[in-house]
Amino acid sequence: MSHDKTMQPKSGKFDLGAIGRRDMLGLGLGFGLTTMAASTFGFPAWAQTDAAATPPSKPTGVVVVGLSQEPVSFHPLMPGVEVDEIIWTNIFSSLWVAQPDGSLKPDLAIEVPSVENGGIAEGGLLWTVRLRDDVTWHDGKPFTAEDVKYSLELINQEGFRSRTRVGHSLLGEITVVGPHEISWRMTEAFSPYLALLANTHMVPRHLLEGEADQNSTAFGGQPVGTGPFKWDTRTPGDNITLAANETYHGDGPYLDQAVLKYVPDMTSLYAQFQTGQVDMVIISGIPQNFYAEAKNLPDREVFIAPSGNIELVMPNLDHPALREKPVRQALYYAMNKQVIIDAIYYGVPTVTESFSPRESWAYNPNLPAHVYDPEKANALLDEAGWVRGDGGMRSKDGVPLAFQISTTTGNQLREQVQQFLMQDWAAIGVALSINNMPAAVIWGDFYVRSQFESLLVGTSFRTGVDPDPAARFASTAIPLKGGSGGNYMQWQNAEADALMKEGQASFDQERRREIYHRLQEIVREELPILPIWQYAPVEGYKKGLVGFAPNINQRQNAWNMGSWFWGS
Amino acid sequence: MATFLLRRFAQAALLLVIVSMIGFAILHLAPGGPLSQYAVDGNMTQADLDRLAEQLGLNRPLPIQYAEWFFRMLQGDWGLSYRDQQPVLHIILSHLGATLELMLTATVLAMILGVWVGTLGAVRRYSLFDSLATIGAMVALSIPTFWFGLVIIYVFSVGLDWLPSGNRYTIGDGSFLNRIHHLIGPSLVLALVSTAVWSRYMRSSMLDVINQDYIRTARAKGVSERNILFRHAMRNALLPMITIAGVQIPTLLSGALVTETVFTWPGMGRLFLDSISYRDYPVVMGILMFSAVLVLLGSLLADILYSVADPRISRQG
Amino acid sequence: MATIQAIPISRSFLEGAVVKRFLSHRLATFGLATILLLTLACIVGPWLLPFTDVYIDMMQRFAAPFSGWHVLGTDAMGRDTLARLLMAGRISLSIGFSAMVVSMIIGLCVGLIAGFYGGILGTVLMRFVDAMLCFPSIFLLLAISALISPSVPAIVLLIAMTSWMEVARVVEAQTRSLKTREFTLAAQSYGAGGFRLMLREILPNAVAPIVVAATLNVANAILAESYISFLGFGIQPPTPSWGNMLNSAQTYLTSAPWLAIVPGLAITLAVTSFNFLGDGLRDALDPRADQP
Repeated sequence: MSHDKTMQPKSGKFDLGAIGRRDMLGLGLGFGLTTMAASTFGFPAWAQTDAAATPPSKPTGVVVVGLSQEPVSFHPLMPGVEVDEIIWTNIFSSLWVAQPDGSLKPDLAIEVPSVENGGIAEGGLLWTVRLRDDVTWHDGKPFTAEDVKYSLELINQEGFRSRTRVGHSLLGEITVVGPHEISWRMTEAFSPYLALLANTHMVPRHLLEGEADQNSTAFGGQPVGTGPFKWDTRTPGDNITLAANETYHGDGPYLDQAVLKYVPDMTSLYAQFQTGQVDMVIISGIPQNFYAEAKNLPDREVFIAPSGNIELVMPNLDHPALREKPVRQALYYAMNKQVIIDAIYYGVPTVTESFSPRESWAYNPNLPAHVYDPEKANALLDEAGWVRGDGGMRSKDGVPLAFQISTTTGNQLREQVQQFLMQDWAAIGVALSINNMPAAVIWGDFYVRSQFESLLVGTSFRTGVDPDPAARFASTAIPLKGGSGGNYMQWQNAEADALMKEGQASFDQERRREIYHRLQEIVREELPILPIWQYAPVEGYKKGLVGFAPNINQRQNAWNMGSWFWGS
Repeated sequence: MATFLLRRFAQAALLLVIVSMIGFAILHLAPGGPLSQYAVDGNMTQADLDRLAEQLGLNRPLPIQYAEWFFRMLQGDWGLSYRDQQPVLHIILSHLGATLELMLTATVLAMILGVWVGTLGAVRRYSLFDSLATIGAMVALSIPTFWFGLVIIYVFSVGLDWLPSGNRYTIGDGSFLNRIHHLIGPSLVLALVSTAVWSRYMRSSMLDVINQDYIRTARAKGVSERNILFRHAMRNALLPMITIAGVQIPTLLSGALVTETVFTWPGMGRLFLDSISYRDYPVVMGILMFSAVLVLLGSLLADILYSVADPRISRQG
Repeated sequence: MATIQAIPISRSFLEGAVVKRFLSHRLATFGLATILLLTLACIVGPWLLPFTDVYIDMMQRFAAPFSGWHVLGTDAMGRDTLARLLMAGRISLSIGFSAMVVSMIIGLCVGLIAGFYGGILGTVLMRFVDAMLCFPSIFLLLAISALISPSVPAIVLLIAMTSWMEVARVVEAQTRSLKTREFTLAAQSYGAGGFRLMLREILPNAVAPIVVAATLNVANAILAESYISFLGFGIQPPTPSWGNMLNSAQTYLTSAPWLAIVPGLAITLAVTSFNFLGDGLRDALDPRADQP
């Protein structure tokens, strides 16, 4: 993969707005712009080529966004997945929005609250937010602080199927100070809440308050928001059309229509991108085997999008063999990561040693690099008392060094990786077998109740934009042991626990950086996860589209369709 | 006729209840659930998932869930989708158009082709054409539909670029011609099996008729072969074919599901696959019930039509 | 597929004339020969090849057919397509055969019991059969496949569970008519029990349609396996089957089309042969049924 092109935000588009960089760092949010300049992706020079283009004075043109999953969940406070967030981020608005550089840009709020500007007081227990007074809902009604209060309370409302209450459950009394000012108390200081609010979209009180059942409303099928696009039509199973909101309070929208086109198969989706039936492919992206071919398509920009997800082997530390550190280390040594990446994934992603994305300010670049060394792996296993028996497979005290690896059925590249690992690990006397299941089964109890032996999975270890991984690594986050969180490998480490606890309560970024650097060292040493690479989805769009800005701090790259337009 | 209909309806209703029990049991005994898709997502915690399971009533005993579903169904309430909170019937109906379009086109194609091949095969029994048609029909019945679809795409879309590789129409161009253009590939693929079935039945039905006395009489009277064929034989041979249209519905639905997958056709099959993989129980149940109703209606209609067309058929269950 | 005619034939029928008629059915002979050849190739073939079906060689990915030692080329992991095709044949053919056996057992039991005892039990059983037939087969396959984790025995069971109903119907009709025939009544008067009657008197007399149904069931089971695998619910790697070879070939349809063409042809060939065989058997065993 070439890293020759530097990602460069379009000037003026991504200024930090009302908040200065110092405020952000003071809050422990965002990663410095210096880190940003150093981070490299195989992005096209989208900023430079179209620098001269100016947006049209009136919304014109249509963009067709190709998706391999169908957006179906339109209520932004209810459960949904990445594709649904395209609807949420474009129909609705949040108080502030996470930018590609990690900063938060005010949207409905006038400024992002901080300790410095007095928005966050009493050691993080009292928050005050001033709101814009020029925002209207798509139906013409004005947006006020009452809507914010309603939205936050709805999340915690008994019986309402809200997506998540993380952070929100710490909300105390919410006070509408004036039509455009709101304040609330928190029951404890929680720095990641700022990042969580960037992904909390406000819903209209006047449309929802009268509904008897908040879980099933007309609004849920025909959302009304304050975002750059209005709901237009939906052809279920095929497409959703959004129309420009000409009274939008921010810049844009410049496009007349945005069509979200559902093409269930990634190969067909790529074919339609080739023939121009869709203008872009995002999220699941273009299959890696087409990357080389796609890059040479005329009039198409094809690039590797940033993603905070890490592809890894997740061992269940309850397994009699996998619970031993030397076994995990040996498996890691005997895994030919480079061949997996180069051959199976066509060299598209890059190796990683960390659970943290490279672009994060918390990323530790000095972790020991992985080497493929079967000799070393054999030595480690010999030393740990795993002896070779019949057929060359190892065992210790009657426990065979054998386990299963699972992933979603139908994910062909992962299936190839599994088969490759089988061969690699058999060479050091480890008997791997494959036990794949459909998505709805594997990510059910099998995953969250830690019934797997090992998994091949792509997942993230952050809290929204914040690098806090406590929900994935803390010993209090093991569901099987009564915890609430996603520590499904059941890792328990006292030092790591203490570090994460301190990190959550701290508002000092330098200290937090140290904490997370140390945590990455521990994880690299203990290997509760065997990292392979950082996600590198291949995305593409038709040349001439201006304003497309891949954003690692959003979960999809159509987060800012309001700023898009077609250049000449 | 009235008692016959009443009996058939009562039987159909009973069957639907059994169908619903089987469907419900299969679905809900399956591991995994509608919340799995969020677990891997990382945006929600275990506490959130547990709360949602509770709120959706997924933890309640199965018989209670079934009873609730059943009594709501009796009142015409098909429930709400877990995914988009829309009424199930509304979701099904909004996908039905695309599937019907495909199924009807394929059926018409298959009828025309099948009747032609079958008739010709019967008239020229044991000729080269007849043998080839026999072999062709058998092969058509043996080809995996999806593979045939892939081959069609590879040859006509990728290779020759004559046909679009999928979709119902081009976005921004919903014109009639555009739709027809998109319809060719999938309807050909879906028609393949039906054509084979139609041609085989037509052939044997035609053979029966040709050997009947009145045809011989007509022939003896010097009526032209052409007239015999089209005026007399064809009309009577088509009669038993009516039933086939009704009985073909389940096969067509199955075929449609596969064809829709290959050609990314936004119909019921696609909806069913998606709903199964997300464990959207209300929608899956809805589709199962809906297709069962279609199947029952199809066979009922076939029976009625047949008994109306041919009064000699006794009306027994 | 055509329904099987439920006409009883006497035992004497099953001799010389039948074999003669069968052999005169050229397509059926062709089907039988192809099946035997395919089976033989799948059993012996893998031993004769210089490659195994699981050996991964990343340097040899996507070798085209007839290039070098790989007669049918290699797949995305550099595995020999021919070796995989033959090993997959073992799996797919055994699935087809085993699923047929299981579905015949279920169908026979249900059909015999329902037909022999009749009454409420018979009605209940046959209504259950009707209900199962209300589901379009793929819908049922997919719904049940959600229940199981995809291993070879599970897939066999899955296919059997969705294909026994036709057999049950045929056997039930046969049993109902046979149980009033003289030889059954005679055996009954000697004091033969229900179980004995079913096994010794009725079953042998219903053998013709059962054999035909069994043959056609193998064909359908092979097809069903390919459908499940294609839709992503089938046999899991590294075990190859014709269906999952096709499934993983989809992505490479434009760059390596042979990966899709080869297993597709294998499926078509095998299924066609079983269908021809079934057709021939029907004609041979029951000359009166001039069914399509």
